[in-house]
Amino acid sequence: MFKSRKSLGMAGLLAVAGLTLAGCASAEEAATEEPTTEEATTEEATTEEAAAEEFEVYALFPQGNDQAYGSTLIEPLQENAAALGINITLTNSGYDAVKQQAECETAVAAQPDGIMLWPAVSDAVRPCLVLADNAGIPVWVINTDVGPADAPLTYGYSGPDTYGQGKASAELMCEAVGDEEVNIIQVNGAAGNGTAIDRDNGFTDHVEANCPNVTIVAEQNADWTPAGAQQVAAEMLAAEGVENIGGIYAADDSMVDGAVKALEALGEDASEYYITGIGNTVLGNPLVKEGKMYGTVFQSSGWEGENAPEYMHRVLTGEIAQGDRVTAYMPSVKVTAENADDPEVAPEW
Amino acid sequence: MAKESLTEQIALTEVVAQEAPKKTSGVGLWLTQNGVFLFLVVLAVFAAFFVNGFGSLDNVTNILNRAVPLGIVAVGMTFVVISGNYLDLSVVAQVATSGVIFLAVGSEYGLGVAALAATGAAILYGLVNGLAVGLFKANAVIVTLATTYIGLGLLRYFSGGSIFFGPPDGPMDVFGSGKVGPVPYSAFVFLGLTLVLSLVLTRTNFGFLVKSFGVNERATRLGGVNTDMVIVGAFLVTALAAMIAGFVFAAFSNTAVSTMAQGFDFKALGAIIIGGTSVFGGRGSVLRTLLGVIFVSVLDNVLTLLGFTFGFQQLALGVLILLAVTLDVLSRKLGQQ
Amino acid sequence: MTQTMELGNLQKPGLGPKLKAFVRRRTEGRAVILLAVISLVVVFYEPLVFTAYPVTLGRIALIGLVALGLTAVILMGELDLSVASTLAASGVIVAVIPDLRIAIPVALLTGIAVGIVNAFFVAIVGIASFIATLGMLFGLSGLAFVLSGEVPVNLQNQDAGILFSQPVLGPLTPRILLFLLVFIALQLFVTRMKAGREFFAVGGNRQAAYDSGIPVKRRIFTGFIISGFVSALAGVIYTLTLTTASPDAGSNVLLSSFAAAIIGGNYLKGGKGSIVGTLLGATALGMLQTTFLMSGIQVPVQNTLIGAILLLAVITDPTSLRALIEKLRSALSKRAKVAPS
Repeated sequence: MFKSRKSLGMAGLLAVAGLTLAGCASAEEAATEEPTTEEATTEEATTEEAAAEEFEVYALFPQGNDQAYGSTLIEPLQENAAALGINITLTNSGYDAVKQQAECETAVAAQPDGIMLWPAVSDAVRPCLVLADNAGIPVWVINTDVGPADAPLTYGYSGPDTYGQGKASAELMCEAVGDEEVNIIQVNGAAGNGTAIDRDNGFTDHVEANCPNVTIVAEQNADWTPAGAQQVAAEMLAAEGVENIGGIYAADDSMVDGAVKALEALGEDASEYYITGIGNTVLGNPLVKEGKMYGTVFQSSGWEGENAPEYMHRVLTGEIAQGDRVTAYMPSVKVTAENADDPEVAPEW
Repeated sequence: MAKESLTEQIALTEVVAQEAPKKTSGVGLWLTQNGVFLFLVVLAVFAAFFVNGFGSLDNVTNILNRAVPLGIVAVGMTFVVISGNYLDLSVVAQVATSGVIFLAVGSEYGLGVAALAATGAAILYGLVNGLAVGLFKANAVIVTLATTYIGLGLLRYFSGGSIFFGPPDGPMDVFGSGKVGPVPYSAFVFLGLTLVLSLVLTRTNFGFLVKSFGVNERATRLGGVNTDMVIVGAFLVTALAAMIAGFVFAAFSNTAVSTMAQGFDFKALGAIIIGGTSVFGGRGSVLRTLLGVIFVSVLDNVLTLLGFTFGFQQLALGVLILLAVTLDVLSRKLGQQ
Repeated sequence: MTQTMELGNLQKPGLGPKLKAFVRRRTEGRAVILLAVISLVVVFYEPLVFTAYPVTLGRIALIGLVALGLTAVILMGELDLSVASTLAASGVIVAVIPDLRIAIPVALLTGIAVGIVNAFFVAIVGIASFIATLGMLFGLSGLAFVLSGEVPVNLQNQDAGILFSQPVLGPLTPRILLFLLVFIALQLFVTRMKAGREFFAVGGNRQAAYDSGIPVKRRIFTGFIISGFVSALAGVIYTLTLTTASPDAGSNVLLSSFAAAIIGGNYLKGGKGSIVGTLLGATALGMLQTTFLMSGIQVPVQNTLIGAILLLAVITDPTSLRALIEKLRSALSKRAKVAPS
């Protein structure tokens, strides 16, 4: 008798605890939703006549407020979406393609007016696109475009030209080096990551085709972190001998920061090396100004965040029809010492 | 301990003695029992001859920079492993939390406040993990998985995933880039901590209890020991070590981000195991872990120097864990005969 | 404490005690309660989780499949840390070999081979499974990266992949059906077959199992082969579902399948637990994740909540609470003894 009373009590306790947690969850939900509804009401006055329709859109992203780029992208995205009368439901798969597929299935089941897709792995989106297509839900792709075979299943793409960013950084490198014969080392993003692969290809292809005087003698992956880049850069410099190296390309400005520290730890002056990156981030922009990095390629989270709902809206209102396949690349603005102070290239993330 | 009766003391000593390595003589036997050391020497000699850049002083710095943050985590986590509680997955969150606190709070309010905050966070981690495992007898894998979710979730929520960086030539930067010869300052922290923790494990009641708890939980409990507090202690040691690792790792690049310690959980465990600490508790030492960490770091360093990328590094680590452990088992079987 | 041993105790008592004995014997209490709480919350806040049940089932199948295989090993008191890496490696193998009719059997055989290697190190060499499979965790993940050239590999036959995600039986996709099939097969194996029931004895008291003539080593091989095969099957399913193989696939699989098994009441040191428990644990976690997914809560907050729920679930386990209560009682009685003197 005692036993069962105890277990009953336990069950009650658990239920209460569970419900409390659930309560927290919904409170949290209310808390996070608050700003958007607030924005919606403030925007209402100005946009009531313009956007009377309310659209439901699922945004399937692999990152969000847990990463610098994501958080600075989502803010303008939600503002602009609210102004256009689009209600956004955000998901974040943490770059897990299977999780994103499950989120896609969930989104399709909820039958929204549109889906905004930032692929976790761009090769892995076909099942999601087929699913949405069968359900008649238009898909707009951002940040990482899908392959040519999958493109007809989408209405278009807006975001950075990832391959083009690698290429632009290579152009900067070739421009900096001139006619000199130079060996460089290359630091890539996380192993297996789509953005890392595209930037790597863009950089390598351009260097091989256009400046044969630049030789990539070693390359390694680092997890997009400065510390990781610093470690592998230091080791590549040790393997090749720092005296044989004239330049460094890293696929991201944070990793350039690490690579510069690796050079400085060897007592070298980074400004004597040809160094290029991608991003023009808050960590990278000062490096350009100090002359430690020759140049970088601006990736604007603000541009991407603002334009994504813009294009989604044009799809939802029928302005862009299936088969049009619009591609809108963010301008890959090159940032060097000449324009690093310009307000147009003020770092955003 | 003083209050314990003599019989209880004897019972405990017996428990530990059962599994304690037999006193042996001869360099050969020592080597077979510490196969990792042999591996390490072979690897280093091979690398010195055939790998460009391995033998330079700068590369000694590279190896130490690899070894230090992982090593500090591993020597701390050795306590949890020896106590028979598998591992502490939450070190991933702990290192990142500490690193971000040191840079975010440190540049705002000074290092003293940051150290206080980081220590507070570490104690909280240690207490939650330790009490859940020790007092509530919950499974360590799930408890620390849960605290990883909570810790990283909160960290990302509050940090927005930003990369935090300190002022150039600020105290973090000075410490992080400081060296004595080829040896970074952080290596002295690692060494000091290893020695202290080694003494704690071998010379104190607490260390003795952690070991005996790992060997035989029930016997230890029958001995009247407050086992809950032993477990809490083991998790606290791990958490404080992870906090220090967060500091030195953040100082290394003068940056910190919530993803900085990804993979530290199983990699630290790998180093502990390669060192020869038994995951089922009781057997092992902090110095063995030190050896394991150096071995893993040299291996990663050599593969990177040779231009092998991530996949091959993982593959090599896996094969070597199996080799090292097989050798360890075989040598013990030989030793028994 | 093993199920086989307790089966003998169930001799014709009245219904009341019988039911009580049944309830006490079950290890799934925690999972049932968690599932009930989550279901209640879901009904009120996100009924979509139920109305779109094929999606929810799909999510549960993804989390649960590997967990089911893992349970076979856990019942024997062993662990298999290599499940996620096996998944990644077999997934890459399916994509690398162009002909699916060859690729799928090869991938599944890889899983069996991994199981044999794991069991060899555990049963023959005598390495603790936690360590042996840690080596395989790194090794197989490395293999997946090496085989794929560190880039995602597209399935040659994309249409086969797309077909694989179409419902075949009512709303059920092959993924869900395979999951149910594995569940039924394992459940029957563990409860109805002698070899399966012996798993509990191997996990409960290994020496006793040896003494009573149970082929312990062969059972360990069986267990690891089940776990390896099921993980490889999950890898095949992943690749077919996505029509591409990513070498870092399944990065969350290891820990979420452990969570499902332990929430389901499986005792990591062996001898206690059930396949049904794992199913319930996976269902609870899958519903929780689907609910969060639809709620639009920020992911860091979701993760914090999942962590809190996990923590709460493990520390309120009946055995945990019983241990705590006994401790408090003995502490009190000790004080009571001391006080009079």
